[in-house]
Amino acid sequence: MANRANRPPTAAGRGPLPRRSFLRISGSGLLAAGLAGPLTACGGGGGGSSDKNLLWWDYLVEDARQPGIKALITGIEKSVPGLKITRRTFPYAELEPALIKGAASGDLPDLAIVDNTSMNSLAPQGLLTDLTDRVKEWGQADAYYKGPWSSGVIDGKTYSVPNNANCLALYYNTELLEKAGVEPPKTWDELSAAARKLTRGSTFGLAMSAVKTEEGVFQLLPFLWSAGGDLDTFATGGATALTFLGELVKAGALSKQCVGWTQQDVNTQFTSGRAAMQINGPWQLPGLKQQSKVKWGVVPLPVDKEPASCLGGENWVILGTSGKADQAWRAIEYSQRKKPLAAYLGSVGLLPARSDMAESGDWATDPTLKVFVQEFGNARPRAYGEHYPQMSQAMAEALQATLTGSSSPGAAAKKAADAITPKLSK
Amino acid sequence: MTTHSTRSTELKVREPVVFRSPAAGTGGRRRGGSLATRRTRAGYGMSAPALLFLGATMLFPLVYNLWTSVHQVEIGDLVTGDWAFNGADNYDAVVSEGAFWHAARISLLFTAGSLVFQFTIGFALALLFVRRFPLAGLFRGLMLVAWLLPPIVSGTLFRWMLDADSGAYNELLRTIGLDALAHNWLTDPSTALPGVIAANVWVGVPFNMLLLLVGLQSIDPALYEAAAIDGAGPWQRLRHLTLPLMRPVAAAVLLLGLVYTFKVFDLVFVLTGGGPVDSTTVLPLYVYQSAFRLFQLGRGAAAGTLLLLVPLLVAVAYVRRLRKEGAAA
Repeated sequence: MANRANRPPTAAGRGPLPRRSFLRISGSGLLAAGLAGPLTACGGGGGGSSDKNLLWWDYLVEDARQPGIKALITGIEKSVPGLKITRRTFPYAELEPALIKGAASGDLPDLAIVDNTSMNSLAPQGLLTDLTDRVKEWGQADAYYKGPWSSGVIDGKTYSVPNNANCLALYYNTELLEKAGVEPPKTWDELSAAARKLTRGSTFGLAMSAVKTEEGVFQLLPFLWSAGGDLDTFATGGATALTFLGELVKAGALSKQCVGWTQQDVNTQFTSGRAAMQINGPWQLPGLKQQSKVKWGVVPLPVDKEPASCLGGENWVILGTSGKADQAWRAIEYSQRKKPLAAYLGSVGLLPARSDMAESGDWATDPTLKVFVQEFGNARPRAYGEHYPQMSQAMAEALQATLTGSSSPGAAAKKAADAITPKLSK
Repeated sequence: MTTHSTRSTELKVREPVVFRSPAAGTGGRRRGGSLATRRTRAGYGMSAPALLFLGATMLFPLVYNLWTSVHQVEIGDLVTGDWAFNGADNYDAVVSEGAFWHAARISLLFTAGSLVFQFTIGFALALLFVRRFPLAGLFRGLMLVAWLLPPIVSGTLFRWMLDADSGAYNELLRTIGLDALAHNWLTDPSTALPGVIAANVWVGVPFNMLLLLVGLQSIDPALYEAAAIDGAGPWQRLRHLTLPLMRPVAAAVLLLGLVYTFKVFDLVFVLTGGGPVDSTTVLPLYVYQSAFRLFQLGRGAAAGTLLLLVPLLVAVAYVRRLRKEGAAA
């Protein structure tokens, strides 16, 4: 008690916290903060479901898509007596990590609609149910475009059914092209010339996304493929593609800013008139049709050696842990019947992956939709196996290094190829 | 007990409060054994809920992370639950990767840059707010908004402000005729890191200011009066009075700042996602990438453990020093 007696009275009252105890508190806080660092352990609530209850995950969260998806779910529930579907949605980038975390905690859905590149990482790990026999019995595989269908085929086994497909094309601002006396480009040379000619004031000739995610790679790959390259020849093919894009940046025809642009940002540039042409997908069509600021058209991606576009889209999968694969398959099978599929895809603004539907409805009559549907024939899936995420990261860095000028196209391509090649052979 | 003064100066400061438990006290006055035992038991009982909480929320994830880091874990292994023990392989793989050391370097630059500016600006503001002036309380409260904003919000805010075409910051540069300086800080590899640091400094200044202000307020004003009577000017009072007396508080603030800054993830993730190329890939982002982008969870966990080491070592060293100081006092 001697301590306390000796202490001067706190009547001064101005110091709210005595220094020494402040230090004590901060000291223990420091330890706690250190321990609470960026731990990445994960957990999750158990998602127990009864026999007739199917858990369904997807990332189709846009408001405009909800009525269509709800109608589809109602349709499935009606067609399979007693079946109940519980749907959970995620932001785009969260679904794949959620599936992987779910694999650890046992909290997985019965079926999911995933990005077709996710097949690379999900299928080889045994996370998915092999659908080969069911598909054979079903007998409709041939009705799909080759690209989308093959994105779900790994080592000869079928793990998914494509729900919808998309790919990239070139949008152009009709007025700006007319004013500059430029025709929509069909080849790389024409694209380069047009982009330079269209660059005036604060308007860039071309806009594309080169962000450091799969989105940027999605936009780079058509250039790689069109140059006759592929991932196993990235050192040369990649160099050609990167050189072409790097030159556009150097000429000021493609904004350096594109390394920070998502495809949505690119579309914003286009609709605000700051880009005369943009590379983008069919998911921009509904928005572009609604606005009246910019008059536009769309053509297939310009070609170097061979026509190419990158295939996107979503696939249906059944999780390997599901004890209700039969019911889940019946749900998928229902969703792929032409009538409900046409109604649902049409209402959510997605394009069918079935070639036998391309001749029907809006997809046959709308000239802009037709461009994309026809481009599916040239669209390639990114089916490169389970190490694709590493390859994708290497390509994204090469793209950014070139466009920011921090590395020459050749050196960037070489570095990426060095990272890609060992992963391909595995 | 004797009264004493702080070692750094010969000036007498208010006696610090030191609580001592009877058992560990210097007096050695032991109470009856049974009472002591009962007290100990009661103590354990009362701290049990807190200990359980800490165990479940801190210790378990930590141990789980260590456990993961010595196993071969990729997605498939998660499904099968079949984790092969691979000793230090993950650690080997991480430290032999150039990207890890690059991230470590970026992390150090980011932390050092953030701390220097956060602390200096925070200290200057604390010196301002320790004076009483009209609306001081209001402004101090407003300052805290920056700290209270979720990093996602402040990150998005800075992304827009630093944008080249329509950003407020570049607009400002253009209006004052500095067009040459106007460009997008975040998409140029050579300026992305300074841009990210600037955002983090803005977030961190209020925190520094607040803690330093508390420290400043606990200095006895009698000391300043005495110094003024002895003829010390404002600069001398700052140099010979405030700074030495603030040393322990400053150390605590800097170390807290180091720990917080070293693990910043969300802000950088929103601002640049680690790009362009890899110019802003701080260690936490590297950990995230290896675990959740590339799905090498074992390696991610190993990198996470290594990332933990720096703040942990600093924290331990600090607490030990504090204890030594406590014992000396």
